[in-house]
Amino acid sequence: MTDSPSHDDIVLLARQAGLNLPPAYLQELVEAYGNVRQMIDRIPTGRPRGDEPAHVFVPTKFLPAGQ
Amino acid sequence: MAALEFLTIAEASKLIATRKLSPVELTEACLARIEALDHLLDSFVTLTAERARAEAKAAEATIMASGPVSRMHGIPYCLKDIYDTAGIRTTGMSRTLADNVPTRDSYCTEKLVAAGGVLLGKNATWEFAHGGPSWDVLFPPARNPWNRDYSPAGSSSGSGAAIAAGFAPATLGTDTGGSIRSPAAACGIAGLKPTYGLVSRRGVIPNCFSHDHAGPLAWTTEDVAILMQVIAGYDPEDPGCANVPIPDYTAALTGDVNGLVIGVPANWLETDNPPTPATKAAFEAALDVFRGLGATVRPVTMPPLQQFDDCKKTIAVAELFTIHAADLRARPELFGDSLRYRIIAGGLVRAEEYILAMRMRTDLARAMQAVMATVDVLMLPTNEPAGKLEPIPPASLFTRSSFTTPFNTGGNPALSVCCGFAANGMPFSLQIVGKLFDEPTVLRAGDAYEKATPWRDKRPVLVAKETA
Repeated sequence: MTDSPSHDDIVLLARQAGLNLPPAYLQELVEAYGNVRQMIDRIPTGRPRGDEPAHVFVPTKFLPAGQ
Repeated sequence: MAALEFLTIAEASKLIATRKLSPVELTEACLARIEALDHLLDSFVTLTAERARAEAKAAEATIMASGPVSRMHGIPYCLKDIYDTAGIRTTGMSRTLADNVPTRDSYCTEKLVAAGGVLLGKNATWEFAHGGPSWDVLFPPARNPWNRDYSPAGSSSGSGAAIAAGFAPATLGTDTGGSIRSPAAACGIAGLKPTYGLVSRRGVIPNCFSHDHAGPLAWTTEDVAILMQVIAGYDPEDPGCANVPIPDYTAALTGDVNGLVIGVPANWLETDNPPTPATKAAFEAALDVFRGLGATVRPVTMPPLQQFDDCKKTIAVAELFTIHAADLRARPELFGDSLRYRIIAGGLVRAEEYILAMRMRTDLARAMQAVMATVDVLMLPTNEPAGKLEPIPPASLFTRSSFTTPFNTGGNPALSVCCGFAANGMPFSLQIVGKLFDEPTVLRAGDAYEKATPWRDKRPVLVAKETA
């Protein structure tokens, strides 16, 4: 479990994400992020280096039509 | 013959092919019913009556001259309002797209047009197929035809309501965590989330690229199979689309499930998210029907349900934020409260966290396919029966487990069918899940169940409000 970010941390993270929110929406973000953080904290870490994620680039998908 | 508005696609297409029913007559019956009753349900956000009449007339002329080109020829249909329709407003229920008129049809729209379908209009959805139900977006939320005080679930809410109400025999929805199957369950109809990549998402407003599925809703599984025949297929313009052979889905509907091996995810039903006694009883009764038809039922163990939720929702919130970032930064007030809450924190998800969630998806998808290799299908309830139509605490999206989301993560085909009615009259639902690209077995099981049970004989009763 990571340390929960403080309100000020979240304001900073929001700014870095380009979100300059009015106070009501900022409070909404703080609450929503708390829920998202709980999910993220349950995702396994410590993966092998070569562990591919589920999204990979398939070059044949991007060939022009007819090739 | 059933009343025109309650004909299934299968019934109507037979009558049309033998010139016993005109597409014009059928279309007028649907339009009249929508006109008379949709004020009760708000299942349509745009009606395309003029276009429908023109398409029906053209279909009639072609069929009279040379016969139908497909089983959808002359059949009315509608589309969730996130499918692009050239020249017709496509809003996703969002004030950010209030004036959005696409110049090109979605892939599925093109397929339905080529098949000779008759577009009646666009169905209500939750905002961008994710946040809802909402009363602060472009249109009011749809209502459930079995009881207007109840929710048709979401996000393909108008699609589910329109089919159950007899406004149209066919519609398309989308499913990123259950958005086809949940409205199908709540409204007592059939809805299929196909295998990921089997149906192109080109021209469908994205919710979450990695988990989005396009698919059909209809009154019966047989009708779902007919629609799949039209919309399944490789589209090089969708990078997620799979180039696989398309089988004859209706030929798979033999009614024979003798020997079918059904897995029941016991750990989900007993520990992770036990259903209510009434839902459990309806589910057990459905399994007994399959046993009576010669199937065998065995328990299986899946990865914990919460792992699927954590994985999918972390991925989704990051993708959703990226899709809507410009509007969230510049005009966040245009989003409904429900959607904004559900996506805004995605801007704070770090790339490492997103990729870890995608690695977790690999594990979960592999684990799911390993279980599926031991059975022919999985069965479980889709959802509890519909609840009241009222605002849902937006945090519940993050905290509540569902039986539908795992199959978006795994990519497996999953069908919801009606399996009875609760004491308050709301439908129970059965979810049938197949191996990747094995829609034929899923559809065969759903169709056999519907034909062995009486649930397709009951329709909701709607009475028009009296005008002063």
